[in-house]
Amino acid sequence: MKATLAPFSFTSLPYRTNSSFRSPSLLLKSPSSASLTTAARGSVALKATTSTEALREGIAEFYNETSGLWEEIWGDHMHHGFYDPDSSIQLSDSGHREAQIRMIEESLHFAGVTEERVKRVVDVGCGIGGSSRYLASKFGAECIGITLSPVQAKRANDLAAAQSLSKRVSFLVADALEQPFEDGKFDLVWSMESGEHMPDKAKFVKELVRVAAPGGRIIIVTWCHRNLSQGEETLQPWEQNLLDRICKTFYLPAWCSTDDYVNLLQSHSLQDIKCADWSENVAPFWPAVIRTALTWNGLWSLLLSGMKSIKGALTMPLMIKGYKKGVIKFGIITCQKPL
Amino acid sequence: MRLITHNMLSCNIKGVANGFPLLIEAGKVIEKEVDFNPDFLRHMFAKIEWKALVEGARSMGYAELPEDSPDATVLDSDESFLKKLHHALLELHLEEGALVCPETGRKFPVNKGIPNMLLHEDEV
Repeated sequence: MKATLAPFSFTSLPYRTNSSFRSPSLLLKSPSSASLTTAARGSVALKATTSTEALREGIAEFYNETSGLWEEIWGDHMHHGFYDPDSSIQLSDSGHREAQIRMIEESLHFAGVTEERVKRVVDVGCGIGGSSRYLASKFGAECIGITLSPVQAKRANDLAAAQSLSKRVSFLVADALEQPFEDGKFDLVWSMESGEHMPDKAKFVKELVRVAAPGGRIIIVTWCHRNLSQGEETLQPWEQNLLDRICKTFYLPAWCSTDDYVNLLQSHSLQDIKCADWSENVAPFWPAVIRTALTWNGLWSLLLSGMKSIKGALTMPLMIKGYKKGVIKFGIITCQKPL
Repeated sequence: MRLITHNMLSCNIKGVANGFPLLIEAGKVIEKEVDFNPDFLRHMFAKIEWKALVEGARSMGYAELPEDSPDATVLDSDESFLKKLHHALLELHLEEGALVCPETGRKFPVNKGIPNMLLHEDEV
């Protein structure tokens, strides 16, 4: 292996964009980060960490570190609960878990997914497999989940085994932007709160479409920023600033809007494209998460879990602010691939 | 990793035309018993890429499957076939080893039963 001097690239986390995947990002240039690696024969190669690789590693490490804590307090669904808009926020723990299940059911219902059609599911950004196991059980289907985090994949597999679901459900470490499947394999392509992590929304959607079977359905449930108004090119600077602060802690690249997803899906000639704003239906969630973090048990677990978890916890009030101010939206976008 | 999963995976390196099926380098294979469910197998049968399953099973040390995919009628009549299918598809686990791209030879590691299909920057 010869020593090579790879070209440096600029890292840029978080991305400062004009809020649309369509326009080129205005990258926040910072000194490039390079890591020295020693090749097999002892020669030294300089390897520049590209921003995409850095993001991917950041996401994997974040979830490697924080998954255990989340599971301990909130269980195996790593997504928002779905609540009636004016429901009381003083729900019990089991009330929140039911709300998380309801989120899955509401999503399926919105997308018009019926049982008979679903034989193979891919869970894109599967966490520790809560959705995968639920969908596999519900539909008697086969489900594969992909995640960047080896810790999550292992935990997901262990939970599947414990629930006797191993023959239906399996998990791998893979990138949603480069899914290791042939075209058209899945009747249901499921992305529950993973879209936020995708640095290239166009590529993300392209892969979702590619792996969907003819007649299959795609369901994307994700955090977005508000739709831009007519004539608006970007979010307001204060809005962008709020999102940037959240991005850094949660390893999120640029945000996009529900409209952006709809436009992407339209560009693939998909059918029955629908979207909805469920921001009001998730409003009780972050306050509830913060409350659990502020219990003695929660605080202690946070301290033991590490800096990423602590920073994550400290960022949660920003999520609430984002929702309250109408900057952050919780959206669902679904469609069907033509036969 | 079970062969039911392997049957779905392909190499997604840019430019690769024949990334399926992935060859199996079996480091550590273990057998885990799974409840025999003929209906599940009948349900899955039509979707299985047979050659990939036979070759995968052979790589993991199991050579009892017929080379050619049998007629679907055998699912109702031949229980011994169903048991072999069950064993190959669901009970053989690759714990440690690698999945190898048939076109480029690139190895995707399998650790603790989990394949890592992440691509390097120069492969996308």
